Amino acid sequence: MKPATFRYHAPATLTDALTLLSEYGDDAKVLAGGQSLVPILAMRLSRFDHLVDVNRVDGLAGITRENGHLVVRAGTRQRALERDESVAAHVPLLARAAPLIAHFQIRNRGTVGGSLAHADPASELPAVALALGAEFDIASERGTRRADAATFFESLWTTTLEPDELLVGARFPVWSGRSGFGIREVARRHGDFAIAGAACALAADDDGRLARAAIALFGVASTPWRAADAEAALTGAIATDVDAMEVAAAAVRGLDPTDDVHASGAARLAIAQHVVSLALSDALAEVRDAR
Amino acid sequence: MSGLHSAAGRFVGQSVLRREDARLLTGHGSYVDDIVLPGMLHVAFVRSDIARGRITRVDVEAARALDGVHAVLTSDDLNPRVESVQMQPTMLASMPGAPLRPLANGDVRFVGEPIVLVVADSRYIAEDACDLVEVDIEQLPAVVDFERAADDTHNLVHAELGSNVAQDMAPPVHPDLERVLQDAPNVVTATFHQQRQTNVPMEPRGVIAAYEPSDGALQVWMSTQNPHEVRLACARVAGVPEQLVRVIGRDVGGGFGQKFFTGREELTVVLAARVLGRALKWIEDRRENLIASNHARLDRGTATFAVENDGALLGVFLDHLEDCGAFPVGGTGATGGFVGILFPGPYRVPLAGFHTRAVWTNTCGRAAYRGPWMFETVAREQMMDVAARAVGIDPLDFRRRNVVQAGELPYTSAFGMTLDTVTPAETLEQAAAIIGYDEFRVEQRRAFETDGRLSGIGIGLYVEPTSMGMMDPLSTDAALVRVQPTGKVSVHLGTGSHGQSIETTMAQVVAEELGIDFDDVVVVQGDTEPTPFGRGTGGSGTAVIAGGACRAASAEVRAKALDIAAHLMEASPADLELADGRIAVRGTPSRFIAWAEVARAAHLDSAKLPPGMQSGLEATATFKAPPITWSNACHICTVEVERATGIVRVLRYVVSEDCGVMINPMVVEGQIAGGVVQGIGGALYEHLVYDSDGNPLTATFLDYLVPTATEVPVIEYGHVETPSATPGGHKGMGEGGAIGSPPCVFNAVADALALVGATVTRTPLGPTAVLGALASSYTPAP
Amino acid sequence: MHDDDIAVTMNVNGERRRARVEARLTLADFLREECALTGTHLGCEHGVCGACTVLLDGDAVRSCLVFAVQAEGARVTTVEGLGGPDGALSPVQDALRAEHGLQCGFCTPGFVVSITALLAENPNPNDQEVREALSGNICRCTGYQGIVKAVQRAVSS
Repeated sequence: MKPATFRYHAPATLTDALTLLSEYGDDAKVLAGGQSLVPILAMRLSRFDHLVDVNRVDGLAGITRENGHLVVRAGTRQRALERDESVAAHVPLLARAAPLIAHFQIRNRGTVGGSLAHADPASELPAVALALGAEFDIASERGTRRADAATFFESLWTTTLEPDELLVGARFPVWSGRSGFGIREVARRHGDFAIAGAACALAADDDGRLARAAIALFGVASTPWRAADAEAALTGAIATDVDAMEVAAAAVRGLDPTDDVHASGAARLAIAQHVVSLALSDALAEVRDAR
Repeated sequence: MSGLHSAAGRFVGQSVLRREDARLLTGHGSYVDDIVLPGMLHVAFVRSDIARGRITRVDVEAARALDGVHAVLTSDDLNPRVESVQMQPTMLASMPGAPLRPLANGDVRFVGEPIVLVVADSRYIAEDACDLVEVDIEQLPAVVDFERAADDTHNLVHAELGSNVAQDMAPPVHPDLERVLQDAPNVVTATFHQQRQTNVPMEPRGVIAAYEPSDGALQVWMSTQNPHEVRLACARVAGVPEQLVRVIGRDVGGGFGQKFFTGREELTVVLAARVLGRALKWIEDRRENLIASNHARLDRGTATFAVENDGALLGVFLDHLEDCGAFPVGGTGATGGFVGILFPGPYRVPLAGFHTRAVWTNTCGRAAYRGPWMFETVAREQMMDVAARAVGIDPLDFRRRNVVQAGELPYTSAFGMTLDTVTPAETLEQAAAIIGYDEFRVEQRRAFETDGRLSGIGIGLYVEPTSMGMMDPLSTDAALVRVQPTGKVSVHLGTGSHGQSIETTMAQVVAEELGIDFDDVVVVQGDTEPTPFGRGTGGSGTAVIAGGACRAASAEVRAKALDIAAHLMEASPADLELADGRIAVRGTPSRFIAWAEVARAAHLDSAKLPPGMQSGLEATATFKAPPITWSNACHICTVEVERATGIVRVLRYVVSEDCGVMINPMVVEGQIAGGVVQGIGGALYEHLVYDSDGNPLTATFLDYLVPTATEVPVIEYGHVETPSATPGGHKGMGEGGAIGSPPCVFNAVADALALVGATVTRTPLGPTAVLGALASSYTPAP
Repeated sequence: MHDDDIAVTMNVNGERRRARVEARLTLADFLREECALTGTHLGCEHGVCGACTVLLDGDAVRSCLVFAVQAEGARVTTVEGLGGPDGALSPVQDALRAEHGLQCGFCTPGFVVSITALLAENPNPNDQEVREALSGNICRCTGYQGIVKAVQRAVSS
């Protein structure tokens, strides 16, 4: 189980990285943390003539606060989400999601941008980004653009990123005021990809009326999946009146997950409903307690 | 034999820390992949991605042309050399088995079957070359479903065998059994399925073979449990005289049966090394290990129990079917004969019968995995709970009612197996007491009635036939105990330790027997050159058989040492005793001679020896085991089943066991724990899945789910130490943990589900199975 | 050696190591083949079993999922670098021995490294933290009983 040959590029600047991506296009693949890519290469499921290692790109890692957003640069290790106090303070959902990602040895190496760009539908960060309404900063030689998480994830392992583009950062909105968050998942073993998971974010006005509600599921479709009907039902409701089980039932309506070796579609659906109810309950409790 | 083997020995019975550990903890072990030979080349295989089909074209030209590639071999290059040679293990050479072959020839019979062998400067380049080999295969319908294989007379896995049935055994059924299975007050039947699993040693298989044409010598390093069998197999397949073959397996990263016999790929690499005259290394990768090494445990059993109203078993019958895959290593790989005969287990069963069949399929071959016949315990113990529920008796009481009691020993089963020096009733009670069985029942009911929580308790009770002496050469081991002139001792064994702590435990035995310090004894094993022929390490045989050989050789050494000491001290040997590195006159400890002084005289000062005695102080002795040395254990665990997700958590796990006199209790408990967690894996997580075309769907560790530290409970132990009749009083126990645990966990889950009338019959009990059972059950009000 | 081999220099267990390697050579294979540090084991080569875990600039990572060229300029510590001079066992290694936390020993180097990293960051983990930290390493022999106990022993020593 050894990777096939490739040309290795380790640009030191973003400009150089983008030049390489522009030059090689489809023949190149960005190597970030490598925790998903290297196994694929080792098993020779895919091969690329060029790997553009972005680990040495100056300024590609780091977490900063920027008018109402927490900006996580793409090369930031997933482990930093657990360690950086500003993440827990401003985007608690992200801090709570991080320990659910695989194992600490993987998070030491895996990057936030890598996870978002890889877009595994069972992984946590895309769902968190979707729930919070994150935006992604994308660069190429052609210029920069900003993509909305709601439209970024197209299908299994596929995003709107063009071959010459690099995800350089994710902007997570800070949900200030009276808010609550929850993320829950069920996996066969600790650290495995979730059979199903749910991330929930709620914001309420001073009267406890939910002004904003987001529920994103992972592991149940070919992309992270937003439970729009359930969100609509929550919006405007009084937090203390919400029946989480009822909302959870609504959240999974219309989902039709497929069977795989870890769970049947039916089991996946039942578990999805359960994790929504848990994540929502966590978020509701936090909203109630936030005064 | 010596009287020195009481449980409270200086070394035997002590949790001596392991000799093996220091090197393994610091990265200085020597596993096969750690060995580098000058000029060594690397092997990779092109494997079939079709389960059954005709090979219509193999084009290796592009691969041969690649830089760094030294050879690309096909069946034409290798298979003719072994046409008249037995690739099956030596002891099974005359038994029915699969038509083994080095490389696929003309057709392919499972996904993963090796077709082409590539030799290159590195494994990286070898895999590059594999990508360049073109193989065309005309796909044929594959035999995948083992429950339908026997009836398929059109699609044959092995056309030359004429049938997909590999074994069919149906001992005559006693008319009385037929009668009770019809007429008993209660006749209960259930069918259980156990899923396909595999051993998963953390070190996959691997071999280095170096043939030196100038002297005709073949040196082989292999990850093996059984170096002397490897030597025999390599000698046959490579056509090199056995005395010129040396096999080394210094450190072996687990096997659990997978490395007991010599694998097809290993033999093929050895043959290629002989043909090419070059040193070749092949290290199996995990994908290969999961799809092509060997599989185990795919069984179906329909059990029928005839039960009296008071719960007494009147008769039992098991209809058993197992999957052998395509190319099992070791005969057919079938275990059904053992499954049937052992099915009555530790119970008083007046009448028993079975029918077992084994079938070939176009899947990876079946081979030994820790307790290869353990389906008998799975089917029986799961059926005990079903029967108990059917007659309205608690499963613990149902077992109490039927388990063989101490006063009934020796007890001869309906199949003529005689149980003795076993304690199933005692371990049942001990385990029930440790876990607090009655208290759990109260709490279980309370949790269900107040919160609707589903918790359950399960029992797995069994007797394990260990150290079996019925079949040579598994019956016998040899030990060479060699005393050096300084009095230091080396013990040379034909074992292939792969985690069993043999370098520690056998040193404990010999130090005890010779009355010398543990630190003065070293064990040499895992190498055919310095060791006598031995049976290898497997079948729960080391303590009894290798231990017996160590004791026998030690006794000879001791007798000679006493003669020398008696001569030097002008005493009678009968009055002398060995302890603390001295030979002293019994009752007069001040009259002694140092062990080292005797050793010195034996080697360096023949004038001090009794008249006529030759120099030297060493002995080789063999020990042949009695037909069966039974050990036994009772596993009891508690689980919680989460109704919303179907996730099962094991809460507590108790093993009460009787392996006779323990050489090293720490090692005993370690062996139990490892087996138990493999069984938890089998009950809840591990499942090798094929699609209907015979494509494996679980070829990575992301899909084949081995338990990790977060999935396992703390294991609690109880010990009952009933000496066996063998020297030292030991019994084998290496496999037991993996035998008792799958039905124990299954029964606990089934017990929890029974609270709401849900039933399960198949493992693994993942969310799909559990939620499915809950969905199709009725839910009575608490 | 090929023309497109890349020069790499890193510090392994306190020693400077330089080599020209293929870009695709994993750090694990570099350590095993170029440095002859065979304590780093390959149990799956796809990042699940943890046997190849090493410290890369102090953080535990899978060395099968890092290319050697990516470790340019880095500080790498393998299991061989964790014990004392003259083969003395580290507290973690000693605890694993005392608690029978290993049998065949193949997974052991990965556990030694992972536990060392865990305790460096969290010197007093609770049982759940211990188990979660261990869950990235697979052992097939011990059932994790002795390994969990060894962490507890190393904590209290």
